[in-house]
Order: sequence, then C-alpha cells, then structure tokens
Amino acid sequence: MKPTLERLFQRRLLFVAGKGGVGKTTVACALAMIAAQLGKRTLLTEVDGAGRAAYLLGVEPAPLGLPQRAAPSLSVMSIEGTAALAEYLQIILPVKRVLQAVFASRIYRYFVAAAPGLKELLTVGKIWYETERVDETSGRRLWDLVVVDAPATGHSLQYLRMPYAAHQAFGAGLVARESEHLIDLLGDPRTTAISLVTTPEEMPVNETVEMYQQIRDNLHMPLGVLFVNRMHRAAFDGKKLEMLERKLVKLHDARDRAVATEVLNRGREEVGWTDINQRYVQRLAAAIDMPRVEIPLVFAEEFGLREVHAIAADIVAESATPSRRGMVHGRA
Amino acid sequence: MGGLDELLRRHRVVICAGSGGVGKTTTAASLALRGALAGRRTIVLTIDPAKRLANALGMTEVGSTVSAVKVDGLQTGMLSAMMLDQKGAWDQLVERHAPSAEIRARILNNHFYQHLSQNFAGSYEYMAIEQLCELHASGAYDLIVVDTPPTRHALDFLEAPQRIADFLDRGVVKWFVRPYFSAGWATLRFMNRTIGFLFRRLEEATGVSALVEVSDFFTSMSALFEAFEPRVRRVYELLRSRETCFVLVATPEEQVLSEAEYFCRKVRELKMSLRAVVFNRVHREMSAGRQGVAADAVTRLLVRLLGDEATAAKLAESFNRYEMLGRGDGLRMEAFRRLLPKGVGVIEVPNFNSDVHSLVDLRAMHPFLFAA
Repeated sequence: MKPTLERLFQRRLLFVAGKGGVGKTTVACALAMIAAQLGKRTLLTEVDGAGRAAYLLGVEPAPLGLPQRAAPSLSVMSIEGTAALAEYLQIILPVKRVLQAVFASRIYRYFVAAAPGLKELLTVGKIWYETERVDETSGRRLWDLVVVDAPATGHSLQYLRMPYAAHQAFGAGLVARESEHLIDLLGDPRTTAISLVTTPEEMPVNETVEMYQQIRDNLHMPLGVLFVNRMHRAAFDGKKLEMLERKLVKLHDARDRAVATEVLNRGREEVGWTDINQRYVQRLAAAIDMPRVEIPLVFAEEFGLREVHAIAADIVAESATPSRRGMVHGRA
Repeated sequence: MGGLDELLRRHRVVICAGSGGVGKTTTAASLALRGALAGRRTIVLTIDPAKRLANALGMTEVGSTVSAVKVDGLQTGMLSAMMLDQKGAWDQLVERHAPSAEIRARILNNHFYQHLSQNFAGSYEYMAIEQLCELHASGAYDLIVVDTPPTRHALDFLEAPQRIADFLDRGVVKWFVRPYFSAGWATLRFMNRTIGFLFRRLEEATGVSALVEVSDFFTSMSALFEAFEPRVRRVYELLRSRETCFVLVATPEEQVLSEAEYFCRKVRELKMSLRAVVFNRVHREMSAGRQGVAADAVTRLLVRLLGDEATAAKLAESFNRYEMLGRGDGLRMEAFRRLLPKGVGVIEVPNFNSDVHSLVDLRAMHPFLFAA
C-alpha cells in the first residue's frame, strides 16, 4: 500500500470537497472503490447530489438516506438536509399522521428556512450517524470507512462550519449536545480528513487555495490529500511540434497535409495545457501544504464506471511517489 | 456579420445562463465587447469574474459600481462593466428601502435576515435581476449583457423571483406580522393544539427560537414587502419581453448537458425566449462525417515526416486521444441539438490552448461566436 493513501485510509471519515465541475464525485467514487478493494467496508455518501455517484458506480440511485450496494464491500447513499431532518423528526416525534401535517404545513418550511443551518447540521449529523453506526448482530461498526462527496466549495464550508456555529448559538438542548459530538468527530485527525479536489486552472485553483485557508485557519479541521485532477501531460515538447510544422508544408497530398495539421493543432493544445497545468500546480504547491496526488486527464468518449476504475488505478499509481508536499513535480 | 450578431442587434437584454464552470462570464464579456464594437452603448453585468478578466474589464473593486472599459478601436460604441456584489446585495436592498436608520439596523442584526440573505436559494439570482431592471430602466444602455450567478442549476435564475415572491407571500407575511406571534409558541399552540405542540417540541429540541426572529424580521420589513408583488411581476415582464433573450452557455460534458436540457424545457414553459446555445471547450473529431483516420496511417505519415518513430508514435497517440474526445463531444452535441426547437442557433467555440483572460482573448472568441 502506498504511504499517502495508507495514511488517508487510516481515518474512518473522509470528506472530498472542491469547486463544482472539477471531478469531485469521480474522485470520491474512485477513493471509495480503492478502499473497498482493500477489503474495507465502505460507504460513499453523496450530499445534495442528483444520483451521479450511484450512476458512476454503475447502479440505479436508491431513495434518499438508504445505502445501496454497488460492489463487494461498497455501498452508496444520497443525503439531503430536508429529508434528514424529516428522518430525525420521525425519531423524536413518532406520530406519523401528525408528522405528515407538519411537513406539509407552511410554517414548517419557514422553520427549516429560519433555523440557522438546521438542514446542514442534520446532514452532518446523518453522516456522523452512519460513521458510528453499529451492526446489531456482530456488534462491530457497520462501515470501516465513510467517504463523503461534499457539495461545491461554498456549500461544503457551510456544512463543515455548522456544528461549531450550532454549538456557539445554542446554549443548551439537544442540538448543543449533538454538535459537541460532531465537533469531536470532525476535529479529530485520527478519525477524519478533508481532502480537496481541484483542476489545475485559474478559477478552481483560486477557490481551492481559499478553501484550504478557511479549513486550516478558521475550522481547524484535519486535512487529507490534495487531488489535482485532469492533468495534461504532453509526451512531447514544442520543439517536435516546430519540426512537424516545418515539414508538413512540403506534403503534396492535401489530405495528408490536413491530417498532419490537425495532429499539430492537437499537439499544441496538449503542450499548451501541460504548461498551464504545471504553472497552477506550482501555485498550489506554494500555497497549500498538503500531500498532493496528480491525476492525469482521462481521454474518453463517455464517462462511466470504466473511467472511474481508470482513475482509481491512476490514484494508486500516483500515490506511489513519496509525498509531494512542497515539491513540484518535474522540477525537483 | 453572422452568428450571434443578429441576436445582439435585435435585443436590448441578453442573458447568459448555464451551470457553473462552463465559461459563462467569458462568453458574456465577449458578447458585450462585440456589441460595443458594433457601436452600441453596452454594459456587461457580471457576478464572479476571474481576477485577470476583472482587471481586463477595469473592474478593480467589488460593489455595484459601473466602470468604463478601455477598448482600442471603439468608435461610437461604449463598453461598461459592473460586478454584482453577492454578499452585499440584500444589504443594499435593505439600505435602499428601510424607512429609518433604526429599522435598518434592526433588520441587519436579525438572525433570520442574516441567514436568509446568505443562504436563501435564489437570493443572489434575484438581486441580479433587480440590478438588471434598474439598468434597463435607466435608459443609459442600448445593450445589457447579463452573466448569471454560478449556481449548480441554471434554472435557479429563472425561478428565483417567483420563489422569493412565494416566500414573501403577503398572506403568510401578514400572519407572521401579527403581534401574538412574537409572543412565541404558546399562542400558536392555542390556535392549533397538535401542530403547536410539535413545533414547540421542535424548538425545545433544537434550541432554536426561530419563529420569533422570523416574526420580527417580517414586522421590520413589512413596508418593503408591500411593494414586492408588483416588482416581481415587472421582473417577469422584462424577462419575457421581446427585447430580452437568453443564450444558454454549456460545454459538451454529460452532466452539463443534462442540466442544459432541463433548462431549455423550463425556459419554454416560462414563455421566455431562448435564442442560442453556445458550446465552449469543444473538441471536434477530424474524421467526423468523413472516412475515419486510421490510427496506424497517422503514425506512418508522421514517421515519414519526422523520421523519428518514437516521437511519431507519441504524437499519433495524443491525436487519437483527442479524436476520441471529439467523437464523444460530437455525439453528445448532436443528441442535444435534436432536442432544440427550430430557430435556436448553435455555436461551437473550440477549446483554446490557454485561459481566456484579456480583451485580446475575448476578441479571439469572436470568429467562432459571429461566424457567418
């Protein structure tokens, strides 16, 4: 087992956070898949998602809040705050018919909207519940590892901040007690790690650096691994392309020339993005003190289970390099 | 002149919608630049531009101030840019409409207000539309290009006004404003024994005395909400007017497209006009529609040219990988195109070799956006 991943998988609760559209769900799925293949009973939870995680693991999405088996040792589940609140209320107020009336009432909507962060708190609470959940027959924990595909940056911070906010806001009562448990769980580096996913491009990198600072300075939560997704890695350099450019004008056949020109353009795209990606990796390395795993761009017609397998294999292979903390790939 | 030029000429308001990370801001800025170059007094209303693009547009500070953009070769036209301050948007609304300093302070300190202004789904979107209405009413611009907030669902933008109107429904608001509400749950329990009881348990359990805050909020802001319904009506009138059109910005990625599909349907349901779809970051398969380019033929050609087998193989492999991306993009865009009603233009902008951040870069998009 590779050191970076090994350390990550010593935890029981892994958050995977990042800007929308950077491949967060894919990385979360790949991590869950790797853990399951190592024999860890793993639960992947998708927060406020549209069933994308289930799709990527090749199964139909199940109803909210119910784990669904996707592979040996691997289950997937969708969580949504309002549904988690309803589930919670059914536990503390077990009169079903009356509850229906409550849920349908307008005041309830106002209550949910008004109670600061109640929805977020219950989402984190539900994750905590799954993390600590015990199998009644064996007396063991139900899951060795819970991987959370968190909502996009701004929202995940909102979720992670919630237990602290709740603890400060509510002097006594159930929420205060529950939030204390949550703070213990989220703040314990033996249990929890927050991994970040980004692509090596301007906007995602800016957001990731910001998020890293927030987690480190304000939330004081244990950080995991920084995954840099969709790395272009040209296997050739600009000089070869210049040579190609000089030679192709001499081609007589128009079709050959068109093909060679297209090869040249694609080559430039690849070299161009390799440079940009490297620049942003350097920025990440300078600003973020976390072990870093780079994931090469997966070229595919469509993205599905097979591509997630490929990314899982890449993550395992890339983690073989000793921790890249503070060292820039290709420069040292 | 072609492509989207006609669209810019015929509309005063062009709204760029789409999910986050698809190049909406860049597309909006590029359209606005074209409008200005065509001689119109143009403004682009943007939400969260990359720093370098913001600098390129001369927007140095957040806060809804208008900045003039220096553009070479501009004759009669004019380009301005404005960055909407998401966080301050509600505060501005309160400042503008609160009848006194005391009430203003009371609203700003209300917990429910703080939560609502930061978290209510659609509040930024709504504020963007408010801002749009104001710019439109000012009459200072011939063309307003709007970049919508980066939401997960592009649809939020369209539904925000209605959602806010529902939330601030006068019937409900009046009910909350009644004085007995501030007294807390005891009175509600009196009104409706069971529900009152349950809510009281809920408040006890969570420790949140939420509804007192809600009541206080609505009481403080009641003057503001009186005018809300007609305002939301006006907003929808502008969004549906013949002067306004939507441009959907997307990438040929699966997830983005399934959201885009939903958006198109919804726009039609809401009787708004979608005029064009812009695909950014498109890869085109070279062999599309022709005989396929055989992988080994490419390698042989490159060996012939370069005389270096190793390099030829690497270049050919890279080319073939991009062909694969191009094939996927092509198939997905084709399937999407078939769902579009007639009269919606489809524009493809290729994946550039670099980030788009300067006025020069924005102009580099023009040959694709405005191709004949």
